[in-house]
Amino acid sequence: MPPKQILIIDDENDIQEVARLSLQLTEQWDVMSANSGAAGTLLALSEGPDAILLDVMMPDMDGPSTLRVLQQQGVRIPVIFLTAKVQPADRQKFMQLGVRGIIPKPFDPLTLGQQIREMLAWG
Amino acid sequence: MTKRKHSIRRKLTRIIMMTSTAAVLLATLGFIGSGALKFRTRLVNDLTTIGSVIASNSTTALVSRDRHTADHVLTALHNKLSIVAAGIYDDRGKPFARYEPHLEFSIPPVTRPDGFYDENDRLEVFFPIRHEGVRVGTLFIAADTRDRNARLLQYLEIATGIVLLSLLAAYGLAAWLQHGISEPIVELARVAALVSKDKSFSVRASLSRLNVGDEIGNLIIGFNTMLAELEERDRKLVLHQTQLVTTVAQRTAELTAANEELLAAKHAAEKAAAINAQLARESALILNSATDGIFGVDLEGEPSFLNPAGARMLGRSLAELRGRSMHQLIHHSDASGNPLPEENCSMGLALRRGESVADADDLFWRPDGTSFPVEYSTTPMFDEEGNKAGAVLIFRDITDRRAIEKLKSEFVSTVSHELRTPLTSIRGALGLLGSGLLGPVAEKGQRMLEIAVSNTDRLVRLINDILDLERIESGKVELTRGLIDAQSVVNQAREGLQSIADQEGIRIVVEPHIGTLWGDSDRVIQTLTNLIGNAIKFSPANTTVTLSGTAGATEFTFCVADQGRGIPEENLSSVFQRFSQVDASDSRTRGGSGLGLAICQSIVTAHGGRIWAEKNEPAGTRVQFTIPLEIGEPVSQPAGDSAVLHPATPIDRDDPSVLIVEDDSDLARVMSEALQRRGLQTLHTTCGNEALTICTAQRPSLIVLDLGLPDLDGFRVVCELRKNPAIENVPLLVYSARDVGSADQSRLRLGPTEFLTKSRGTIADFESFVLSLLAAATTRTKDEPHAA
Repeated sequence: MPPKQILIIDDENDIQEVARLSLQLTEQWDVMSANSGAAGTLLALSEGPDAILLDVMMPDMDGPSTLRVLQQQGVRIPVIFLTAKVQPADRQKFMQLGVRGIIPKPFDPLTLGQQIREMLAWG
Repeated sequence: MTKRKHSIRRKLTRIIMMTSTAAVLLATLGFIGSGALKFRTRLVNDLTTIGSVIASNSTTALVSRDRHTADHVLTALHNKLSIVAAGIYDDRGKPFARYEPHLEFSIPPVTRPDGFYDENDRLEVFFPIRHEGVRVGTLFIAADTRDRNARLLQYLEIATGIVLLSLLAAYGLAAWLQHGISEPIVELARVAALVSKDKSFSVRASLSRLNVGDEIGNLIIGFNTMLAELEERDRKLVLHQTQLVTTVAQRTAELTAANEELLAAKHAAEKAAAINAQLARESALILNSATDGIFGVDLEGEPSFLNPAGARMLGRSLAELRGRSMHQLIHHSDASGNPLPEENCSMGLALRRGESVADADDLFWRPDGTSFPVEYSTTPMFDEEGNKAGAVLIFRDITDRRAIEKLKSEFVSTVSHELRTPLTSIRGALGLLGSGLLGPVAEKGQRMLEIAVSNTDRLVRLINDILDLERIESGKVELTRGLIDAQSVVNQAREGLQSIADQEGIRIVVEPHIGTLWGDSDRVIQTLTNLIGNAIKFSPANTTVTLSGTAGATEFTFCVADQGRGIPEENLSSVFQRFSQVDASDSRTRGGSGLGLAICQSIVTAHGGRIWAEKNEPAGTRVQFTIPLEIGEPVSQPAGDSAVLHPATPIDRDDPSVLIVEDDSDLARVMSEALQRRGLQTLHTTCGNEALTICTAQRPSLIVLDLGLPDLDGFRVVCELRKNPAIENVPLLVYSARDVGSADQSRLRLGPTEFLTKSRGTIADFESFVLSLLAAATTRTKDEPHAA
């Protein structure tokens, strides 16, 4: 079975890098990244990753907008929000947008992959 | 006085003189008269005698006509010197003989009747001459009376002298005698004048011995008596006057005393009035100076006063407000402009219930249609008898505070987010380094990385707690209240901490928790988690943390007890303060933010409960808190679980449309998009009133309703919807933020209705529900003709 393909969309390059390294090292997944919603959407459409890690607060096109665009495009790839917005109200709202899960920032690089697997019910 | 004295004396003298004169004159005249009479009588007698003699002697001569003898007879008269003429007349009255010694006088040519006649210096007499009883002639004799007249004149002279002498004597006598009469009268006059002049009745007129017993004496005595009586009366008058003066003085004194009392009372009243006025001024000053708005309403809720700050804030004067309902003027609508019924007005509660009512988050309207946020407290006013007289309301414009709170909240939120981003990189990088996945790290380096990771985690917790605390305390996070099973929340909290407890070697004992609470379950779990975490943290290994709960009349008390080292007595109340640590080393060794208990307190307070810490016997600490008990039916299963629905059921209806009533526009957009992807038409509104309008106009196939709407209560929307016959059978999906209790469910179930809790289902679940409901409705519509 080929390794899972993960798309990380975050405007912070440092976070992209840490997350990518973390998932590569702990899960041996194939990780690609984009630093804007638009770039991420295009990448998702072209590459069809198995899951998308999406930052919420981004300039121009934020996480929910990106998600909406993806949904409008008929993309059915599960999306997990990776966000610093951790208030219960935010959580609830995000869940209603149709995301599979929410991972708060900062995340533990050693358990990030495990959290994603649990959310997506990957074995 | 002198004149009067002269006058009475002169009058008396004149009277005496006149009387004397009259007497003397009468005496003198009598004397002279009688002398003259006597003289004439003697002359008549003489002449009678002589005449008789002559007459008798001449009768013969006459009868014989012998003139010579007759003359001779007459000649006999010559020795009578006083006879100045004589004559004999014959019986025819013609002179016969005459005797006329003095040439100057002749006998009258004719006789006159017999008798005596007094002529100027003479007395003339005619005698009859008779012979044998027959008259033969008349004898005439005239006697000279000049001698007699001279003698009478002499008498008169003597009498005059006597008169003069007697008058002189009378004057002297009068001058002397009149004293007896005039003196007492003068004296009386003098005394009377004195009395009239001096107004003194003490003087008396002196009484001469001369006057004793006479009328003047009596007059003086009477006058003196009168004076004495007057004096006596005067004295009595004075006496009465004195008594009167005394009485008057007494009365005056009494009046003065009464007056003084009145004056004192008046002063007291004035002083009281002044104090009242001062109080009134101070009250007015306080009212006028207060920066908070203050107004009073009467029992009808009409304003009775308004202070300047209030008038400024409300943009109205008291005059404009009078006679109008305060609620209708300034409190008529909520923030969205939806009307607030007066009977629900919290301002009116003070009046109706007679209790103070406070509201920290309300809105008042200005006449120009703008509004401002206020906090206010309203208190009933009672009059002296304790009857309700109205209410006073104190309010404060909290626009600025709101702005600051918003700023603070935004700041905290932004800062926490902005801190979180770099921390994410740091935490991730450190974690990877420390994991050894990037290559071996020296042992000391490994230790340093662990320290860096744990402190980064601590910093994140701190940021989380600060954000949490800020949001709870600012009221920004509304509690999502619902019915909570006490046992369930305790179990959830315990499960979350079980692994840590196991690590620490702590046993957690959960006693039965029986009760249904009214609150936000997430927040209650958060509180319990905090407290249990603390208990574990501060307990030595192989001890027990006991969780117990008791239901009271109105609230449920949770208790978390440990057997740790305990909290010193003096710190028991301060542990709930922010960053409070019993031991300065705690925060470092235990990794807490110092905000955990403060957050617990905020959550409990927001629920209307209390939290406190006390000593546990024999060792450790016991923290307890209360949450209000639910009043009514116990928690039931969410309706969603019992609904048997098949998402795949095809929709057998032309152009089915769904009305989404949801105030969260983003969520509504997602919901719309989700349904649109399923080929449904969607309508959306954020408020209840608009939903009613759309329903009537469009008659949607299905309605999705959020219960927490800004304008109308969800219950109210449902009631209104179901009243409309066109809408009464339209399926309704209540898609609410919290679980709806069975009591509320039955209130809402006025037609085909299902319930879904937002947090329990994703958009995909929502889609399935909608499709199932539409399918069920279609089936029902199909069945209807058969049923009919």
